[in-house]
Amino acid sequence: MNRLSQFAASLAVAVLAGLPLAAQASDPTDVIDYRKHIMKTLGEQSAAMQATLQGKAPAENFVLHTQVLAVAASQALVAFKEKVEGGGSKPDVWAKWPDFEKRMKELAANTADLAKTAKEGGAAAAQPKLASALTCKGCHDLYREKK
Amino acid sequence: MTRFAKFVGGFAVAVAMVTALPIIARADDKDVIEYREHIMKTLDAQTAAIGMIVSTQVGDDNLVAHAEAIAVTAKQALKSFEAKVPGGESKPEVWSNWPDFEKRMKDFVEKTDKLAASAKTGGMPVVMEQMVDALTCKGCHDVYRSKK
Repeated sequence: MNRLSQFAASLAVAVLAGLPLAAQASDPTDVIDYRKHIMKTLGEQSAAMQATLQGKAPAENFVLHTQVLAVAASQALVAFKEKVEGGGSKPDVWAKWPDFEKRMKELAANTADLAKTAKEGGAAAAQPKLASALTCKGCHDLYREKK
Repeated sequence: MTRFAKFVGGFAVAVAMVTALPIIARADDKDVIEYREHIMKTLDAQTAAIGMIVSTQVGDDNLVAHAEAIAVTAKQALKSFEAKVPGGESKPEVWSNWPDFEKRMKDFVEKTDKLAASAKTGGMPVVMEQMVDALTCKGCHDVYRSKK
């Protein structure tokens, strides 16, 4: 192989090896569906937790509901990172990302604290923290299209 | 104090005591069914989400979190069926075959617990190995849920 051919072969190998694999963007419908699964979880578990506090469901499950809420809250921010408008999400989610992100992180932190408190002290200890932990409406008023 | 006054006084005290008794909230049938449905809908949503990750429709950041959510929700499920209230989509067999239903629910708790633990240590390959066996929703639904 002559020098030029060697150079061309080396260049080709270097270029191919250096190319980062383009991240495959998800289908927008999938992104929206995925977010909805997480939001659905938060809605259902909030309602179930309330039922246990109102004597409409086994009180023993209260702590478990706070745990699922905390885990689902931790799932939520990631689900919105990819900018896909629609499915109930206003464009402001991404236009005002620092604020949206801050709210999501607070939700995750506050529900984690709620779950910890519930595990250690039961419903009586956790109840005072409920309103500040489950701030769904505040975020929805700003970032969710009216239903 | 006259006898009559004593009687009225005593009666008034009795009424006061009864009204001061804590009101024991009782779930009605609709509450019981709705509560079960909240749990089942949670399982449906989280199972769908983990399925989307495994089929690479979305990224895998939340793989472990979904497995954990499913495991904890599975623990909520059996208790939600303890009150015998046929309806919603629950066939009467849930309660007429309670030992079998209970066993299936307990197996579900055990297997989803294992799935969550495995997800933490082994990630996607282990989840893919175990999830079909752990998420046996259809098997139970075929027997105990009314066809939609």
